[in-house]
Amino acid sequence: MDSARRSEALREEMELHLAEKAEELEADGLTAERARAEARRRFGNVGLKHEQSREIWMTRFFSELGQDIRYGCRTMAANKAFSALAVLSLALGIGANTAIFSLMESILLRSLPVADPESLVVLNWHSRPPKDGDKESVHVVHGLQGIFWPGANGALVSGIFPYRAFETLREENPVFSTLFGYFNGHDRTLTVRWQAMSASTEYVTGEYFRGLAVSPAAGRLIDSEDDRLGAAPVAVISFATSQNRLGGPSNAIGQSILVDNVPFTVIGVAPPEFFGVDPAAAPEVYLPLHTNVLVDGARAARIYGDENFYWIEMMGRLRPGVSMAQAQAVLAPRFHQWVATTAKTDGERVKLPALILNPGAEGLGSLRRQYSKPLYVLLTMVGLILALECANIANLLLARAAARRREMAVRLSLGAGRPRVVRQLLTESVMLASLGGALGVVFAIWGMRTLTVLLSSGPRNLTLHAELNWSVLGVTAALSVVCGLLFGLAPAIQSTRPDVMPALKNGRGGGPRRRAQHVLVVAQIAVSFLILVAAGLFVRTLNKLHSVQLGYSRENILLFTVNARQAGHRDPEIVTFYADLRKRLESIPGVSSATLSHSSLISAGLAGSAIRGEMKIGAVTIDDAGVLAAGPRFLTTMQIPILAGREIDERDQRGSTPVAVISEELARTYFGNENPVGRRITLVDEKRDLEIVGVSANLRYGGLKDEEESSMTMFVAASQISPGRMTYALHTAGDPLRYVKSVHEIVREADSRIPVTNVVTQAAEIDRTISREIMFAKLCTGFAVLALLMACVGLYGTMSYDLARQVGEIGIRMALGAQRGAMVWMVLRRVLILSAAGLAISVPAALISSQLVKSFLFETQPNDPGTLALAAVVLLSAAILAGYAPARRASRIDPLAALRHE
Amino acid sequence: MGRKAKKNDSLPGSLDMLILRTLSLRDVHGYGIVQFIQQSSDNELFVEEGSLYPALQRLELNGWIDGVWGVTPNNRRARIYKITAAGRKRLAVETRKYAKLTLAIARVMGAE
Repeated sequence: MDSARRSEALREEMELHLAEKAEELEADGLTAERARAEARRRFGNVGLKHEQSREIWMTRFFSELGQDIRYGCRTMAANKAFSALAVLSLALGIGANTAIFSLMESILLRSLPVADPESLVVLNWHSRPPKDGDKESVHVVHGLQGIFWPGANGALVSGIFPYRAFETLREENPVFSTLFGYFNGHDRTLTVRWQAMSASTEYVTGEYFRGLAVSPAAGRLIDSEDDRLGAAPVAVISFATSQNRLGGPSNAIGQSILVDNVPFTVIGVAPPEFFGVDPAAAPEVYLPLHTNVLVDGARAARIYGDENFYWIEMMGRLRPGVSMAQAQAVLAPRFHQWVATTAKTDGERVKLPALILNPGAEGLGSLRRQYSKPLYVLLTMVGLILALECANIANLLLARAAARRREMAVRLSLGAGRPRVVRQLLTESVMLASLGGALGVVFAIWGMRTLTVLLSSGPRNLTLHAELNWSVLGVTAALSVVCGLLFGLAPAIQSTRPDVMPALKNGRGGGPRRRAQHVLVVAQIAVSFLILVAAGLFVRTLNKLHSVQLGYSRENILLFTVNARQAGHRDPEIVTFYADLRKRLESIPGVSSATLSHSSLISAGLAGSAIRGEMKIGAVTIDDAGVLAAGPRFLTTMQIPILAGREIDERDQRGSTPVAVISEELARTYFGNENPVGRRITLVDEKRDLEIVGVSANLRYGGLKDEEESSMTMFVAASQISPGRMTYALHTAGDPLRYVKSVHEIVREADSRIPVTNVVTQAAEIDRTISREIMFAKLCTGFAVLALLMACVGLYGTMSYDLARQVGEIGIRMALGAQRGAMVWMVLRRVLILSAAGLAISVPAALISSQLVKSFLFETQPNDPGTLALAAVVLLSAAILAGYAPARRASRIDPLAALRHE
Repeated sequence: MGRKAKKNDSLPGSLDMLILRTLSLRDVHGYGIVQFIQQSSDNELFVEEGSLYPALQRLELNGWIDGVWGVTPNNRRARIYKITAAGRKRLAVETRKYAKLTLAIARVMGAE
């Protein structure tokens, strides 16, 4: 009887007692009221008595639990090897689950660390894409600074707006108590006391901190007065920055800092847990929105008035009692009305953006969009592995349960209740699982570090806030208990089956237990096949990515980025500065050549073309050519062969003839068999011509996974455009990272205000673009090995146990003349039957479930027959290997000994 | 766990014994036990009524008595308690202990 029912029954009994007593007293002549009071008085404190009774049950519960735990400890100590194995494998499984879950929690589930995050909403819009059907792009968005992402039904979704839209929505807003805007200022050069370093910045409107309800760790935060043209330039810095760069939060207030050489005064420090509104980013400096005019110059001033330039992001805080749907109903028509006035043509009018509100509690969705699917896939895999482990331990416990059947039978026949014995067995398994969980937390901490490194070696500036907090630990604890119950229940029920007599008689296990064991083994084989297939697919994807022809050197190249413009260098001097720096770098002993370009080749697709506008050869427009602004000796450094003419070199100066080098594919497409050297390319927007001076071999411009594979590349001279940020590349003898120190020294000598950022080898820079694939391949290989091991242990255990039961039978057979080979075959045949059953279930499952990871694969079909076959072969070999030891033992059985034993 | 010492309980554990004794004669519900003890002791023994219920719980958990839902003589739904085999053994033990104790006390009181 459970506690609540017992408590209710007791209450009813006491009520009845009081009623009967009162009746008796009434019969003696008391008034009804007096009688009730007297009955109560004589009874004593009803509540207290009720409590005392409850206490009796609880005491009993705990004392029994104590007994069970003591008994469990003894059992565990008696089977040290088993206990250690079970705890260790559970720790691995629970640890992996905890680590992946903690990442999920930090990325997908956790709220922004601000007051009442539930009332925050993010403003987005969606519209039909600018290009559909016709190739012309027609859209009210004429220019933008920010990102889009694909929505449902091919729609375009974005969170950036023109400043006018922000102003329009902010006016007399009946649904928001505050509406605030912000935009990513990206990396800037932050100079504190002549020390320059790169820092991430966020421009925020005056309502930002008030809207988020954040209070400062020191000083004050940016308010509306600071966010005006002409206001004194002030900055708020992150807590970490105040500690690392300014000597603590309180010291920071009032100090002067330079952001891209523009002076700002620090007025406040954000609280330690605050990381802005995007869980992927962690701004180090917050600047008032309008100060971008000071930092970015006149171009920034123009974007405030441009109704077709989209750049500012917005969040609002709902007024109390207003729902998101109500807010949407009020704001969407208002936005529609405004945006309709910005459309210039009918084409633009049919694709007007429509406002949508999204919950803002978890911050911006950039990380969620990127990682939710990979994380769910990983979580599924670790979940499966944990299930495998549970199955394994259940299997071992089943075997042990058979051994303990006599013990259980004795207990049952001595009058122990079956539930009581089951409870004691479950206590044992939950204890095992809890130990596993506790150890699993240690594994989880290690796993989280590894995962964070694996993940954050990917996109730059990705900040993960994964940690072991209470909700993660709660999940771990729940997982442990559930595991314990899961793997403990079947054996517990099995071993306490009420047919006591047969067990007492011979002590050998019966049929049902064996069947349960076989079902578990088949399930294990099926699950490990799934994981093997996944690992195979991901490894194959990684191999495909690694075998993509780059056309340039991957090894022995050191890359790093500097931005002289942010340190105050201007045209035309900046060109000379970059050229001098290149020469100095080339003089480092061991560096055979040095060059620079506006981006590394692998991330050139993201950095954008070096030249805007249309390019023509005669009357023909060049389509889809990647343009890289490169300095002298680029082709030499990258080891790209020169097929005709020359590469860009030091002759190509600002004043001299503008030049270009084109790739073979571009040359063949537009010039056929003619020699392109000496021909001209017209830049329509810039109204000038480039002279083709050379042809390079084909190379891969942009990322490895880019769908539109085009080897049409054009190099222009970096000195002949207006350069901003530059990425230098050094071809080195030996490990490129050995030269990092010299690089820092040389850049510091050239200009100490310029920080060196993103120092990385070419190989690592390339791997960074496929970090997800690398992570999947590595993790899944690990998972697959683990799963295979589990399945083998399960198989081995089951076979060994079967064998122990059949010793007599085998003895008889051998005595009757069976060959040893036949005995080996008998065991192996059983292994193969079990494996085949597992595969029969798993192959269709793999074919279906691999479709779910299709988007993670590269040039690999989800039902890739090679991978499936390989996984099957690996699994079968492992199974035979696991079955061979018991098989051999079967063949070695001495018939005499076996029969005598019987 | 420290249960408070019962007031006016000159013989510790005697309540358990009285309940078992009552139930060994007939199956009754809680209030019936109180009435029986009172009547059969000629109103000399008054059970502290509230304490009856924790005692019943304890006896039930020890497996000495068994409570099942039934109907009282007044046709009311109530838990009717029965003594179990283990309860009868326990009663025998308690009775012997009680006899020894009262005899010992009587000897002391009767000694010159």
